[in-house]
Amino acid sequence: MNKVLKNSPTRQTPVQVPRGLVPTPFHARLEPANITQDWMGWSGFLSARKFQSVESEYFAIRNQATLFDLSPMHKYRIEGPDALTVVNRLLTRDVRKLKDNRVGYAVWCDEDGSTIDDGTIFRFTDTHFRLCCQEPQYTWLCDVAWGFDVTLTDESETVVGLSMQGPTSYSVLKAAGFEGTEGMKPFDIHHFDDGIMISRTGFTGDLGYELWADAEAALPLYDRLMSAGKELGLRPIGYDALNMARIEAGFMVTGVEFQSIHHALRPTRGRTPFDLGLDRLVHFDKGHFNGRRALLQAKEKGPRYALVALEIDGNKPAHQALVYHKGKTEAGLITSALWSPICKRNLALAMLKAPYGIDITADLKVEIYHDKEGKYDRAMVPAKIVDRPFFNNPRRAATPPALC
Amino acid sequence: MANQYDAIVVGAGHNGLTAGCYLARAGLKTLIVEKNDWIGGAAVSRELHPGWTYSNCSYVCSLLRPEVARDLDLGRHGLQVTPYEGGLSFMENGDYFGYYADHDALRREIKRHSPRDADAYDRFSRFVLQQCRFIRPLLLRSPPDPVRMRPRDIQELLYLLKRFHDLGPRQMADTLRFYTASVADFLDEFFECEILKAHLAGSGIIGTGLGVYSPGTAYVLLHHYMGEVDGSIGAWGFSRGGMGGVSQSLAAAFKEAGGEIRAGNGIEKFLCREGKVVGVALDNGDEITAKTVVSNMDVRRTFLNHVEDGTLSDDFVKAVKRFKIRGSSAKLNIALDGMPDFPSLPKGTILTQGDMHASQSLDELEQAYDEWKAGRWSKDPYFDMLIPSLIDPTLAAPGKHMMTVFVQYAPYELANGESWDGPNRDAMAESVISKIAKYSPNFRDLIVHKEVRSPWDIEREVGLTEGNIFQGELTFDQLLFNRPVPGYAQYRSPIKGLYMCGSSTHPGGGVMAAPGANAAREILSDLGRGQRAA
Amino acid sequence: MSNFDTIIIGAGHNGLAAATRLAQTGQKVLVLEQGATAGGAIAQSELEPGVFAPRYAHLLMGLGMPEIKTLGLQDHGYTPAVSDMPTIALCPTGRHVVLQGGTVHYADGTPHPDAAAYQTLTKRLTKFAAGIAQISRQAPPALTGGGWRQAVDLGKIGLNMRLQGKDDLREFMRVALSNVYDTVLDEIADGPLAGVLGFDAILGGHMGPRAPGTMLSLLTRMREGAQRSLPKGGMGALAASFTNAAIAAGVEIRCNSTVFEISVTEDRVTGVVLQDGSSLTCGQVLSSLDPKTTMRLSHIRHYDAEMVRRVRHIRTKGAVAKVNLALSEAPKISGLDDSLSAARWVMAPSMDALELGYNGAKYGRLPDDVIFEAVVPSLSDPSITTGNRHVLSAIVQYVPYGLQQGWDSNSNSDLGDRVIAALDKVAPGLADSVTAREVISPQDIEVETGAPGGHWHHGELIADQMLMMRPAPGMERYALPVSGLYLCGASAHPGGDVTALPGLNAANAVLAGLKRKAA
Repeated sequence: MNKVLKNSPTRQTPVQVPRGLVPTPFHARLEPANITQDWMGWSGFLSARKFQSVESEYFAIRNQATLFDLSPMHKYRIEGPDALTVVNRLLTRDVRKLKDNRVGYAVWCDEDGSTIDDGTIFRFTDTHFRLCCQEPQYTWLCDVAWGFDVTLTDESETVVGLSMQGPTSYSVLKAAGFEGTEGMKPFDIHHFDDGIMISRTGFTGDLGYELWADAEAALPLYDRLMSAGKELGLRPIGYDALNMARIEAGFMVTGVEFQSIHHALRPTRGRTPFDLGLDRLVHFDKGHFNGRRALLQAKEKGPRYALVALEIDGNKPAHQALVYHKGKTEAGLITSALWSPICKRNLALAMLKAPYGIDITADLKVEIYHDKEGKYDRAMVPAKIVDRPFFNNPRRAATPPALC
Repeated sequence: MANQYDAIVVGAGHNGLTAGCYLARAGLKTLIVEKNDWIGGAAVSRELHPGWTYSNCSYVCSLLRPEVARDLDLGRHGLQVTPYEGGLSFMENGDYFGYYADHDALRREIKRHSPRDADAYDRFSRFVLQQCRFIRPLLLRSPPDPVRMRPRDIQELLYLLKRFHDLGPRQMADTLRFYTASVADFLDEFFECEILKAHLAGSGIIGTGLGVYSPGTAYVLLHHYMGEVDGSIGAWGFSRGGMGGVSQSLAAAFKEAGGEIRAGNGIEKFLCREGKVVGVALDNGDEITAKTVVSNMDVRRTFLNHVEDGTLSDDFVKAVKRFKIRGSSAKLNIALDGMPDFPSLPKGTILTQGDMHASQSLDELEQAYDEWKAGRWSKDPYFDMLIPSLIDPTLAAPGKHMMTVFVQYAPYELANGESWDGPNRDAMAESVISKIAKYSPNFRDLIVHKEVRSPWDIEREVGLTEGNIFQGELTFDQLLFNRPVPGYAQYRSPIKGLYMCGSSTHPGGGVMAAPGANAAREILSDLGRGQRAA
Repeated sequence: MSNFDTIIIGAGHNGLAAATRLAQTGQKVLVLEQGATAGGAIAQSELEPGVFAPRYAHLLMGLGMPEIKTLGLQDHGYTPAVSDMPTIALCPTGRHVVLQGGTVHYADGTPHPDAAAYQTLTKRLTKFAAGIAQISRQAPPALTGGGWRQAVDLGKIGLNMRLQGKDDLREFMRVALSNVYDTVLDEIADGPLAGVLGFDAILGGHMGPRAPGTMLSLLTRMREGAQRSLPKGGMGALAASFTNAAIAAGVEIRCNSTVFEISVTEDRVTGVVLQDGSSLTCGQVLSSLDPKTTMRLSHIRHYDAEMVRRVRHIRTKGAVAKVNLALSEAPKISGLDDSLSAARWVMAPSMDALELGYNGAKYGRLPDDVIFEAVVPSLSDPSITTGNRHVLSAIVQYVPYGLQQGWDSNSNSDLGDRVIAALDKVAPGLADSVTAREVISPQDIEVETGAPGGHWHHGELIADQMLMMRPAPGMERYALPVSGLYLCGASAHPGGDVTALPGLNAANAVLAGLKRKAA
């Protein structure tokens, strides 16, 4: 039992993983640009909450063009003869119907049909995909792919992403010399010789693109865009402004609108895609996929929850507020809220418990507390369910986009 | 009148003190008798070498029920627990595994060893937390008696069944497996990385006469995760001033409530008349009377050593003898002249402020157990090593350090009837020290003093049978309504007025104070003073 | 293209039992067997011309009367040649212990000091085992959706136990969760007698007697009263009676038919495709293979990732090998009356020896001190050999599937030598009388029978893999998620041993499913 520790003089200095938040490959540019130095943690990375002011960054999304560092997103390459089978086994939607070089929004579920996460699936060919999402999924992908001929690669740290959103974003692309993007429709993917890939995707409901590159190419890409966008108002933005645009666009965020079943301690916290209003993403006719049997049953029983868009009276954002029916029965909870500067309305996303939001949609009120200099004022404010997205501008989908 | 009390607690361990506190606070004139000159049982701090204070038995804190700490106002009485920042396992290839308390750092560290296991760890933590949520509310409740089925038993059984049912089918199945699986199989379901598994598996065998491949050890792991430090479930921490700090705060609370402690004389026997307890006789000949007597000793000591023959039925005595209390652990307490160098660790790492191990694989841990089965101490032992003086300035002078090393396995009975005293104890200590020295070249030179505690030493000093830290194995045939004796799991004994409050009772060992609190609740309910026991 | 109601994969005793039961209800049933003959674990092999040996299982202990009657085995050639076979607990020092009809004494006739304690203990355990026997005859309790009927069933079992007395119920609740090592040694001293009880608990498993949960394994096995019997004509005759009963019920059995794929359309089984490319259609498929293989045959893509993960982690490390010897003369155990040679011999000198034996298996080593159970069926049933020759069948415990040096002809012959040497010690001269031998390693068992890891029970039979956790949560009631697909082999509740129970329970699950559908 006397094992001898190899203690040779050539032994390297001990490796230490970084503690605390680590910079993304864009940090060398973002750090000096950040006047406020208001950072937050995102998957262990330093991510800007804002650079100058939330308001100016928000309006840049709707007026000009903005850059948001997407690098902390988790990215997984799924490659091999069984790639299509595995992706279709993972996701609830039918990826066979997705054409090559197209992106699809997708959710995936556990065996009980509860949603694990949402994200985007990039189909390059039927043997090569990329999954892009908020939560780490590597172990889960390994489980889903067990027994299939695919190679899974975690590209989270080797691939970086920049989200360029706003009405002038196409013009920036043009000015930066990315040829061939005029024909890109929403969700199209375009590859460039220098290894850069552009998808016409985003999280703002506006005209926008996401640019993907190897980590080494991060800074040149950033510089190329910033110099091209100099006269087009291009500026880096932080999460707070993006989140406003996100709510206006009616997109949900895992961990905010619903809890991933992989993090929930209480079994009742699971939400099916139906509870989230994502029926269109569940394709029962494609054969088995994870959670299919449970979802078939759930479909039959009808949703237990409804994720709804609310328009609320007044101008006080209803953060974390409870929603009541007829002022007394608790019907649900506001998950995201804002005063929308572009819609000029008080908006929110809410998770209502069935039958509210499904059969019962009238007589809803939201309980909002205002801190009036140390005294809380409680108001029951009428709210009505409206269609998502709140913000819908034709420039989002116009092809080719207008040049500015 | 000096020797007449309402209640006597025998043994000033943390459970005895806890029970004493609750009784005294309910207005009973309560006396705690303790055989040692000091109090605390296994939760003690002792200056055994001038300038160095050892937590010479239990050494870290997590399981202490927050309800008890709040009820007894232990914070005001001096209890202070600082959670630790990490932990590590040394690796034979010159690397190490760092178990950071910080989630991002831990994730990166696991990824360094196995990309696949990084997210698996999140799944593992969630799973353990789900199980903790299920079990924690049960700790401060008395187990039901599923045979007698009085209304309180039926009520409690229904409560248990409802809680179980509320888990939903998935978690129900997971729970059943968790309570019956081995820690190795349990970890295998989550992880592929051997060093990670070895690091985590230690919790499944500490204090236990089972190996990592033995069914039931997954529960022992849970037992070590169901504590908390100030709301952080599963966290462990250092008690300021050593583990004696816990006992001192309890003693202070007890005295404030009007309780009295007599240390220095153990009991000779429980005095019984016509099936009722009437008091205790001390080993100095004193007799003290009380209608309620609570034993903090383990169940074997209580009924086999201190009750007059013929008082108890043969069946009960047999059941007590059958209760497994197995010595499996040893302890080294070491005074160090300085902080040892660990060349394989990054300079200035925070990881040494937590639990350190050097077990490489599940097989290595199991082989350590094989030796225990054969009546030998492990030549290549599992150890749980900490240096509390890194964050607690009260234990050693600045720059000096106190190290505590918990060692698994050391059998109570050595093969061939050999004695622990003398060469065996020294050789056992040497096997531990040489294992540590593999990772710290200057470790030996820094040793100023060491205290080596074999199972015999622990038994002699603390009074724990066989030196078993849990006052009885935590196997599933000895939990809940089977602990310590089927039919007597509700802290009462066949002798009216004589109660048990030690770790032999539900929910078992660790510095948890739950048995003490539960026993007190039952006593007060019998006396018509408390709420009806739940 | 032919059409069946039910196709059953594997003509082992469980597959045949399920087939018979279903055919009895009028179903058109086909059994597909990969091997040349039916029988599976109760098949026999011809060691040398005219000498037949049980290839895997060699004794019966859990085959209950209700099952024998349901299947009509007695009408098709099954008769016990010996029932309630005595057991000889072999002792390396020659002080063998004889266990016969509930009594215990030394082989030389002197009384055993623990005889009374042994009787009390086994009586109590037998009572407990009978109390829970009913659980083996039905699907395990469901965690949800069991409904009032299940609650009533379980309540009845509980009430039965309770009616036997408070003390018994208390003792049951303690012992059922305990380990065989402590439960036995609390009552009797360690030695060959204790060793036999320990052996009976761990036989076929990858576990030592100290493992908590081993008592439940023992109790499950004792449900038919812990008596062992030998079928007349050997295990081959038993296999024949299973086969004939099935055929008489209208079952079609096709040997040399390997299933290549279980066909699934729209989440329901539609038939099977054979290795030769031919397809068969049917309404249900019952697989006596383990869940992992069954999942692969029906394709993993039909199963949720969590279920696949659970199945991947079923422990199937086999720890049993088989050694068969052809002997030119009857073996004679020194110190034992000849009339007892025909007994079951168990070499498990003590609980500690068992636990030590398990150590080797854990790390993939061949056993130094061989622990085995041996019978010489030819002594009680001369019909299985010709020419006054004898056959000895030994089940060798703690022979690891994952042998460090790997399984090949060298390790096989090494194991054979060790077993023969151990036998020769207790029966001097035996080694010289060996005329032929076969050594079947766990790996051979896997290859020949499809038992994963060569595991006797197709999956460790201990608390965390029993009842509603067997073979894995979510498939504990025989049905797999693909509709029409069922498990009917040893991997399913209540597990291995020749009991026919998994097969019959699975058949009942099929019938219940059809009834639900019709309703």
